[in-house]
Amino acid sequence: MKYDLIIIGSGPAGYVAAIRAGQVGLKTAIIEKDAIGGMCLNWGCIPTKALIESAKFYNRLNDAAEFGIEGIDLKKLDFNWPKAVERAYKVVNKLTNGVEFLLKKNGVETIMGEAEIVGEHEISVNNRTIEAENIIIATGSLPERIPGEGSNLDIRALYKMKKLPESIAVYGHGPVSVELAQLFNLLGVKTYLITEQEKTLIPQADQFLNDFILKKLKSQGIKIQKNLPSKDVPVLNASLRKAILPAIKPEIDLTDDGFVQTNLNLQTSVSNIYAIGDVNGRSYLAHVGSAQGVFAVNHIKGIEKRMDIRSYPLNIYTVPEMAQIGFTEQELQEENVEYKVNEMPLSINGKAMTEGDTEGVVRILSEKKLGEVMGVQIIGPNATDMIAEAAAFIEMEATIYDVARTVHAHPTVSEVFMETGMDALDKAIHK
Amino acid sequence: MRHIFKFPDIGEGLDEGTILEWYVKKGQSVEAGESLVKMETDKVVTDIPSPRDGVIAARYGSEGETINVGDPLVEIEMEGVEGEAAQEESKKIDEGEASKMETVEEEAAGVVGTLESAGNNAFLPASDEGVSVAETNEKPSQKKAIATPVARALAKELNVDINEVKGTGPGARVMKEDIQKYADSGSTNASNQGRRMLDEGPRVRIEPMSQMRKTIAKNMLRSKHNAAHMSVFDEVEASELIAIRSRFKDKFKADDIKLSYLPFIIKATAKALKKHPVLNSEMDMENGKMIYKNYVNIGIAVDTDDGLLVPVIQDADRLSIRELAVKINEIAEKARKREISMEDMKDGTFTITSFGSIGGKFAVPVINYPQAGILGIGRMAKQPVVKNDAVVPGNMLPLSMSVDHRIVDGGEVTRFLNQIMEYLGDPINLIMD
Repeated sequence: MKYDLIIIGSGPAGYVAAIRAGQVGLKTAIIEKDAIGGMCLNWGCIPTKALIESAKFYNRLNDAAEFGIEGIDLKKLDFNWPKAVERAYKVVNKLTNGVEFLLKKNGVETIMGEAEIVGEHEISVNNRTIEAENIIIATGSLPERIPGEGSNLDIRALYKMKKLPESIAVYGHGPVSVELAQLFNLLGVKTYLITEQEKTLIPQADQFLNDFILKKLKSQGIKIQKNLPSKDVPVLNASLRKAILPAIKPEIDLTDDGFVQTNLNLQTSVSNIYAIGDVNGRSYLAHVGSAQGVFAVNHIKGIEKRMDIRSYPLNIYTVPEMAQIGFTEQELQEENVEYKVNEMPLSINGKAMTEGDTEGVVRILSEKKLGEVMGVQIIGPNATDMIAEAAAFIEMEATIYDVARTVHAHPTVSEVFMETGMDALDKAIHK
Repeated sequence: MRHIFKFPDIGEGLDEGTILEWYVKKGQSVEAGESLVKMETDKVVTDIPSPRDGVIAARYGSEGETINVGDPLVEIEMEGVEGEAAQEESKKIDEGEASKMETVEEEAAGVVGTLESAGNNAFLPASDEGVSVAETNEKPSQKKAIATPVARALAKELNVDINEVKGTGPGARVMKEDIQKYADSGSTNASNQGRRMLDEGPRVRIEPMSQMRKTIAKNMLRSKHNAAHMSVFDEVEASELIAIRSRFKDKFKADDIKLSYLPFIIKATAKALKKHPVLNSEMDMENGKMIYKNYVNIGIAVDTDDGLLVPVIQDADRLSIRELAVKINEIAEKARKREISMEDMKDGTFTITSFGSIGGKFAVPVINYPQAGILGIGRMAKQPVVKNDAVVPGNMLPLSMSVDHRIVDGGEVTRFLNQIMEYLGDPINLIMD
């Protein structure tokens, strides 16, 4: 029995690649050692966002009286962590079932077990060897162990907690640590964020966003420091990640950081073996992994010759949310692009006022001569959704003229985006 | 409801025009399509039609005055257009203006009234070479390249014709990078490559290119880029032709018609084209089609003080020598008065260039793309020829022909040229054949 393609790992990179492979008629199997959907669906993106929603809801109740809702005794408010986790897992189960269904529907065979690549075309799983024309490694990543630290809770431990701790130290920088630190802080847990680089908490983000979030976290009372607090404080490890490698017999090149080395086609040093998602170290974002998955299959099928992922959004699920797409201001400076910056605050926006949440800003970086939209950063309650519009503008190489003349419905928070485009043409109406 | 009609850009990148003659006065009623004013531009002298029915409420600029594109020409009071209809009308105007921000095609369409039927390329035939005149008439400017907004802006900036650029984006969309590469590859700036920048001084004079020169340059490049040029040369002994011409010359002169050799050459070419239709065709490579024309419209390259113009003689195959002579006289007169219009230059299927009148012998002419060929006529000269084993004086007419080798093979070209030579060597064939 020989497969056209075997994929190891069923996270957002692996499962998307598998479904795509099924669609284009490749005989495909996907091997998963733990849970279908991988880190993202089971412990990462989805359940953390569900918990953050609980935390936001919990906090929002403080404003109930102002919104005309009476009868809520704020002194009696309490947060039931296991209950919030239970809700998060209802969502997770729905989604993982959906993925299993889609794999089946597209004729992909799912094999539960731990895979070992024993030859260029051979994989051993559950004590049998199966053959494949092509192999995709999509095994993901995990935080590196904190040096010298014993407890080392990883994110999966969160969901087993019986109640909220008194205090917690979130270790590492990057979107995940910032989001988790804020989550616990919102729930009233004394929170430390342990990092050596407080000025660039989110390394890929524009300095504008980094400056904003640092100030925000500090004002919310999160202690940002370099060293771990006393031994009594549990440490949650959310540091930057290391590749999870399956056992591999054929010699495959790794990067200096221990990720699988890939060329621009996402092929490893063995050309019929591809690596997609976190494991190749190019990005740790789920949506990038998925896009890589689709590309790798297209490349195997000969449909697509070169990877053309021009730009992808970076979303940070803080309160307020932050999102960016395209070039950062620092990158534009490095590339000597002549640009201009236009910013409009959400505080001028009617819809934001009705929602009682006007903290935020839309920021457009545009090239001076032709007006091309080069980069966008958004801070606001729904920034992670609002960025999609900017993503389309950038993907289509649109200009600020296009932004300014795209009619936006009133009242919406998105109007601020159009207004920022008009501002770039010195024609802002509400300024 | 008042409509302000602005001087439209009737050609790509036209900046200004001079008012030669007003046809309307303030208070006069006009109908849509009626000529308002005669304007002289870099390329042509043309009448500007009214875009609307109404009464002239104001007129801007006096005769002899130069005005810029976009300046108001007239204000037209449209009677009975009030309320919603007025809003509609004003929207039309806005759209006309808005479309200016986009592509040239839309510009020509929105603003110019009856001129729009001439299509986007209407201005181009003025400077002739390489203009798909026929194509323009058949599919008037409907084709809009799929391109990103930045690509469009950059194309405008770099003076790149976006329709010429192959898109590499999704769905063959033209991206910014494609325009940049196209421009860098020299498709527009070929003449700038490896060229030293000179500063103006006592030894160097720098002048902006005229619109006409730009168009000629662009069209020549287009032809050289797209057609596979191949040339053949030959000479025909034309003593018979001389004899016939001198017999009829004075007779024609009595009717005030100047008889040159050109009508005979046009007639010979037109007849030969009917016999060899592939030379009267064009190629649509993109769609894998050959387009054969059942009509023969011969363009005549005319050297004017301003530059090259190619007026076209329609249905040349159906005209007698006398009728052709009349046509040529008309063209010469129009050229002298700078009255050759866009209408006069459209829809050529083959071109003749007669540099012999200036003294040239052979040349490698550039095809008037997308036509299949161009025939160059050199200066007739007395030369010794061998007739019946004796060296006698002969009158040799040099012929230079370039063809698009994609369209036509060498054998057919030679047969076609032989046919023309047979007609010219023994002109009786022109009526007997």
